[in-house]
Amino acid sequence: MASTVGSLGAAEAVLTPFAVAFTRPSPERLDVTIHPDNLLTAIRALVDESWGYLSAIIGIDRPAQPPAEGELQAEGAVEVLYLFCSGAAVVTLRINLPYSQAVIPTISGIAPTAMLYEWELREMLGVDVVGLRVTGHLILADEWPEGVYPLRKSFTGFNQAATVVKGA
Amino acid sequence: MTTDTNKFVIPIGPQHPALKEPANFEFWVDGEIVTGASVRLGYVHRGIEKGAEARTWTQNLYLMERICGICSHVHATAYTLGVEKLAGVAAPPRANAIRQLMGELERIHSHMLWLGVAAHEGGFDSLFMYSWRDRETVMDLLEKISGNKVHYSANLLGGVKFDITPELAAEIHKGLDFLEERNKFYLKVITTDETFIGRTRGIGTMTTEKAEFLGAIGPTARASGIARDIRVDAPYLIYDQFPVKVMTHTSGDLHGRFIVRINETFESIRVIREILDHLPGGELTTRVPRRIPAGEAVSRVEAPRGELLYFVASNGSEKPERVKVRTPSLCNWSTVLSLAIGLKLADMPMLLSGIDPCFSCNDRSVGLKSANQDPQIWSWEKLRQYGIEYYR
Repeated sequence: MASTVGSLGAAEAVLTPFAVAFTRPSPERLDVTIHPDNLLTAIRALVDESWGYLSAIIGIDRPAQPPAEGELQAEGAVEVLYLFCSGAAVVTLRINLPYSQAVIPTISGIAPTAMLYEWELREMLGVDVVGLRVTGHLILADEWPEGVYPLRKSFTGFNQAATVVKGA
Repeated sequence: MTTDTNKFVIPIGPQHPALKEPANFEFWVDGEIVTGASVRLGYVHRGIEKGAEARTWTQNLYLMERICGICSHVHATAYTLGVEKLAGVAAPPRANAIRQLMGELERIHSHMLWLGVAAHEGGFDSLFMYSWRDRETVMDLLEKISGNKVHYSANLLGGVKFDITPELAAEIHKGLDFLEERNKFYLKVITTDETFIGRTRGIGTMTTEKAEFLGAIGPTARASGIARDIRVDAPYLIYDQFPVKVMTHTSGDLHGRFIVRINETFESIRVIREILDHLPGGELTTRVPRRIPAGEAVSRVEAPRGELLYFVASNGSEKPERVKVRTPSLCNWSTVLSLAIGLKLADMPMLLSGIDPCFSCNDRSVGLKSANQDPQIWSWEKLRQYGIEYYR
């Protein structure tokens, strides 16, 4: 098995044409920020190189900070992370999607295991995954209202104040 | 049963879809042969990832280990390792050795639980009863260490709560001797019993290429020849000092999945003995700050069902910004849906149990409400009485 440094180097070489920025959060990790338009080609490049396997797709809500006086409210975003693993090496492709443009293509045609993660992303964070051939709910109840995404920070429950946990 | 032109769709579940856990499957059949399959999950989704954002780092330790009653320790370990990375602290070697020891005891109890469930689904109830009776031995050992058979709660942020005394080590050795002998017997049964072989050999066969393509992980993948195990590929705790061998099989069928898990049990027994004989000295805990520095950490561990991945993000406060849990069972569902095609409907229970599916793994919403719909805390006795009344 290639060393972790070698694996990360190989991934960096493959992803350089698509990268907006590279970071190394820890010795075994390489984070690559890419433009959403390059998502499919970047992932196809990794898959064509047989670099590791898709381990997870993670969505993180990034709401905008409250505006300073006199300024307009900025738009929040959902950040989507695609984690690929090879041995100890972890490569993360990061894309940032403003709420108004929270649309991505499905990668399940390239990596079939993505389907469940993309379904969860759509349901829990409201990212529209174009081409995902599943309808209905995966996790949420059938009667769950449309347009309510529980993993958005703005969701604090129905008809109640923000969740307060005793002792927290 | 419903009909759609010439297609018969047989819905199974969510109540007891062969397993005592909720999922809904639709199998399309032509006579007895399955021609298509789909799954609906989420019946016991509990919103844990959202809940984590409202709790402190320490409270989340207890929340995370309640994701699963079978592999509670490995969840707590993955979470703890992620938080410790962010905090820039490392648990003492003795604590990591005890974490590893508990993790391998947990693997033994999980694999023996699975052996019983899988045997039961195949109609081998004697094997089910034997393996669950014998599994009590490892459950008792976990209880002797921690005071609990299920949620042992051994981890702390920065270490462990429980030490292994020489007396305890002797008891664990004795228990392991018994478990080793019993698992040798099980291995003999599954490799020699004609009826058992008839129900497992050549059933649900998955080639290495197909396992890779479908994203199989854990023992399911290893039974198809994929030598992938986080304990070896990216050693955590002290797996670098007390390594394990990756157990694989080339048959790729249900039979191979039995053999791999039993061999993994032997390997767990071996490594626990080694740890007990060379347990590092020193402290059990180190200090971890209440506020965790901002950042993100990925921690990966090998749960009994395969790779478990935690992504933990901090904004520098006392509570996490995001905790993402990618559990192993989720990865293996696509293998079942794909392998079902061409098999007989009667093979479905064993095929389902073959991946050792865990619905706590998948679903991570359980709410207890009284008749007037006010959420409340119920005592064990009240909950028990409610159960009796409900099913009367």
